[in-house]
Amino acid sequence: MNLPKIDVSALPDLDVLTGVFGSLKNASAVVTDDMLVVLMTYIYDVVDPTGLA
Amino acid sequence: MQIGPHLRALREDDAPQRAAQTALIAATREWRARPDIVQLHSELAAFSAARPIAECPMLATLFEDGNPAARSFVDDFVAIMTAVISSQPLGQIAMRHSTDGASSNLMLAQSGRVTLTLVALDGAGLNRRPAPTSVSFSPNDSWDHILAGGATASLLEARPAGAPQVDFHHRVTRLDPGMVIARESSRQALLVDRIEGRLVSLRLVRRHERSGPAREYDLASGTLIHQAAGDARESRLEFMVSLLGRMGRADAAPELAGIALEDWGEGLRWEALRQCLGLDTATGFAVLATVADRIGDPLAEPARNLRASLVSAYPQLQEL
Repeated sequence: MNLPKIDVSALPDLDVLTGVFGSLKNASAVVTDDMLVVLMTYIYDVVDPTGLA
Repeated sequence: MQIGPHLRALREDDAPQRAAQTALIAATREWRARPDIVQLHSELAAFSAARPIAECPMLATLFEDGNPAARSFVDDFVAIMTAVISSQPLGQIAMRHSTDGASSNLMLAQSGRVTLTLVALDGAGLNRRPAPTSVSFSPNDSWDHILAGGATASLLEARPAGAPQVDFHHRVTRLDPGMVIARESSRQALLVDRIEGRLVSLRLVRRHERSGPAREYDLASGTLIHQAAGDARESRLEFMVSLLGRMGRADAAPELAGIALEDWGEGLRWEALRQCLGLDTATGFAVLATVADRIGDPLAEPARNLRASLVSAYPQLQEL
């Protein structure tokens, strides 16, 4: 059977897109909600931990 | 930028910097090695493994309304660290921390999906800012024990009003020392309005096991304006899935098929499904069909639509 090669860029997205972890539309909202604490856990994982416990 | 003699001296010789850092790391280790702090960490681990807060005695005490233990705990920690910083002014505290002029955070402890953080909101800094126009809800349970300062705040509850719309239910509340505010953060947000002095709180956050997306809504209209992965692992996997697709790694197709069928967020699953189709038509189409026929699967409808459009474009797919 000759199966077609499917072009990924032609495949549809979902109606509601999910952004990358920590992304926000309005950064000023970060001050008083939980996003900053949630983000901090993750971002520091990527930083060289020497000197940071 | 002001470069005093201390900083200038560091350019030639970084030994003082390293000595300062060593002192701060040692002080942190010493604090962490104390029996009460060891117990705290083991309770955080248990809490991360889904034990209820009522069965974690130290956490329950720290987050009991009116209990002075939280204030003592923080006072003690602060006294220890400020003593070290005073003697080593160029050292960096060896715990994750950030400040932006209004909001400062210091992560005291972490285990798995649980964090214990000291949060300080500066009234002068915050009151200067424009009022927020949006609010975000993250898939967590949170507890805030107010330690110092005071504020007026709104406890905001988001109620479904025909997705992606929500209705907001406001309840105005005071935030005063001794109060503990417990929230299910995927539908309850605390919007701090006006702060007197500096509002300091001890915050315990546990991410939900099945974390749905974090959602951001426009405050005025209740419209969903943005959605993001609630779990960093999902975003990491999504990058990997896209990369494997771009690399043309057909050998990864079964792995991607697996991800599309597992209990991840829709964004990641759909991306895995798309890339799988691009890498190996047969494998991809089989997964697409499985999802399309799965009752109750949130991706069933988009999968059915995609299956129909692929079959009409390539009728030979019906043979599969």
